[in-house]
Amino acid sequence: MRTYDFNNLHPDATIVRQLDPIVVEKPRNPIHMHTYGGETRFFKALTEGRLIATKADPNGDNPGAFYLPPRVYDPDTLELAEWVDVTDIAMKKAKIHTHITVHHPGAFNRVPFPCHLISVEIEGCATIMMSYLLDGEPEIGLPIEPRFNTTSPTYSILDLHWVPKK
Amino acid sequence: MITFSERQLATPKQMRPVYIVAGGMSDFRKQYWERKTEELCIEAFRQMALDNNLKVDGIRELKSYIHSCYYGHFADHFGDQLLGEAVIHDRLGLDPLGNIGVKTGGATGGSTLWMAANAVASGYSDCALALGWERMDEVDTWVGNHYISTAADKDYETELGHIYTGYYALMAQRYWKIFGKSSPEFRRTMSKIAVKNRGYGYHNPYAQGGKKITVEDVENSPIVADPLRFYDCCLMSVGSSCALLCDEDTAYKLTDNPIKFDITAGSHTLRTADRRDMEIPLLPNETADLYKDLGERFPGGDRYPGFTGFLAARMAAYYAYHMTGVTDPVEDLDVIELHDAFTISDIQTYEDIGLRPYGQGPEYIESGDCYLRHPETGEPGRLPSNLSGGLLGCMHSVGATGIMQVVEVFWQLRNQWEKFHADPKIWEKWGKTIPEDQENLQVPNARRGLAISHAGVGSHVTCSILQHPDHLLKPLNR
Repeated sequence: MRTYDFNNLHPDATIVRQLDPIVVEKPRNPIHMHTYGGETRFFKALTEGRLIATKADPNGDNPGAFYLPPRVYDPDTLELAEWVDVTDIAMKKAKIHTHITVHHPGAFNRVPFPCHLISVEIEGCATIMMSYLLDGEPEIGLPIEPRFNTTSPTYSILDLHWVPKK
Repeated sequence: MITFSERQLATPKQMRPVYIVAGGMSDFRKQYWERKTEELCIEAFRQMALDNNLKVDGIRELKSYIHSCYYGHFADHFGDQLLGEAVIHDRLGLDPLGNIGVKTGGATGGSTLWMAANAVASGYSDCALALGWERMDEVDTWVGNHYISTAADKDYETELGHIYTGYYALMAQRYWKIFGKSSPEFRRTMSKIAVKNRGYGYHNPYAQGGKKITVEDVENSPIVADPLRFYDCCLMSVGSSCALLCDEDTAYKLTDNPIKFDITAGSHTLRTADRRDMEIPLLPNETADLYKDLGERFPGGDRYPGFTGFLAARMAAYYAYHMTGVTDPVEDLDVIELHDAFTISDIQTYEDIGLRPYGQGPEYIESGDCYLRHPETGEPGRLPSNLSGGLLGCMHSVGATGIMQVVEVFWQLRNQWEKFHADPKIWEKWGKTIPEDQENLQVPNARRGLAISHAGVGSHVTCSILQHPDHLLKPLNR
């Protein structure tokens, strides 16, 4: 377990950029902590090579469908949702809904560059999740299948990507 | 399938009508190191107080009317100041009046007006201040783009590119393929919007991005996220704007020429991913027949709102049109300001607010309706949009944007565009020189206007309707 010095003021905490008007730089490097809470199982499953989703409540607006990104509580009934493994469906019945290539990502981007961002339609899924494509050129309607980062996981959504279906 | 109850579709009610009596703004810049945020807010307030022909003896008397204050400020981390509203409120000398900060992303300005209007409409306050600002120059542009991308879902979307342009480009790609039939003409329509709005900004002394450019300039500008290029994307800005809202009695005490103000709000998912299929809610100028063969005319276009519409904008317009009596926006309105964060979202919004049916948004541009005067024929357009320059040509100082656009419509309906834009002293005040080829962008005889304020990929949208009291429509209560 790493520990952090939360009072680690940068040694150059005030850097004068100009004097009229006075403009100073304030560098900092704080650590944020963040929990995935009830969605932990989704991100853990990615590291195990599985795509899991939550089932829509049969009494809600999308009976029989599932949601990706998952929802711990069903959005219509606010009851705890049932989780379901959709890896097989995703392997067989996924395609690109829309796509882009990012040429100028914002700071801190970790997606391999240039980034082919895609929105993924999966049969039976009521929603269309965002992800990224490797090893191919995206086009609307292109059949794709998921790949998982199981060897050096980032414990983020980047552990899931897609490739054109073989 | 999302469904609504009749209660949810009921026309919003006010206990009493609301009026705008004055508006003001600073100028807007990419980097504004000459002035602190509070100085810019005070400049906006001073213009509102001193330049709108109010029947008061200066700022102290005007402040004596204000009863509560609503402050729009999108992103604390940009300005590195929590409780910024307390700073601004203090500097404006408005303690101990009640005040609140409002944050709804890009719609912050509109939402701030929504809160202020509700305070007046409910009877809580006879006179309420709505003031917004943003300070986006304390970080590098690409860190700024990362900050904005945290207004997407940080676990499922932000990690994917760290840039909002990407999330809009996904919609642009889909729209272009389905409704634009992958034609180069669609690209050209997007470019015309960028040219139009930057061109209008050229005549605006407050604008940061006014510029005379060509469609070729747009199409040769660098790609940010394919298919969106540099000129398809809005500005990042520093500046402030404000408006004063009153009940009828107070409004006429303060001015002989108040403008009636109604505002509504809608919402939809933060993640585009989460949009579930549903039937299209219909506006007063639409029937179900209009869309019965949408999927046949545009294969793939029958999923609503899919990635090509904004349900929040549709619902805000639905409520606003019923509340005010707009039955055909192109006929009933004379000037509009839309949230042109990207050229694609401008087109999408034409459809959401009923300027054209879904799938036919580009016609609003190609018909010439969108222009004050058509750039080639000189013919007047039926419903000119974004004469301020909008977010592409004027600014996107986020918390101020929606207020700036309402103030611009307010000045249009008071026939005061020239007073606030064509006076060389205003240009000089902001260190600029009025262009030799300055044009008059006053809409002749403007009776009614609309302004859209929009957040995220459509998470929050407000729809403001402004009406000259001599030209009020009859509400369509349901």
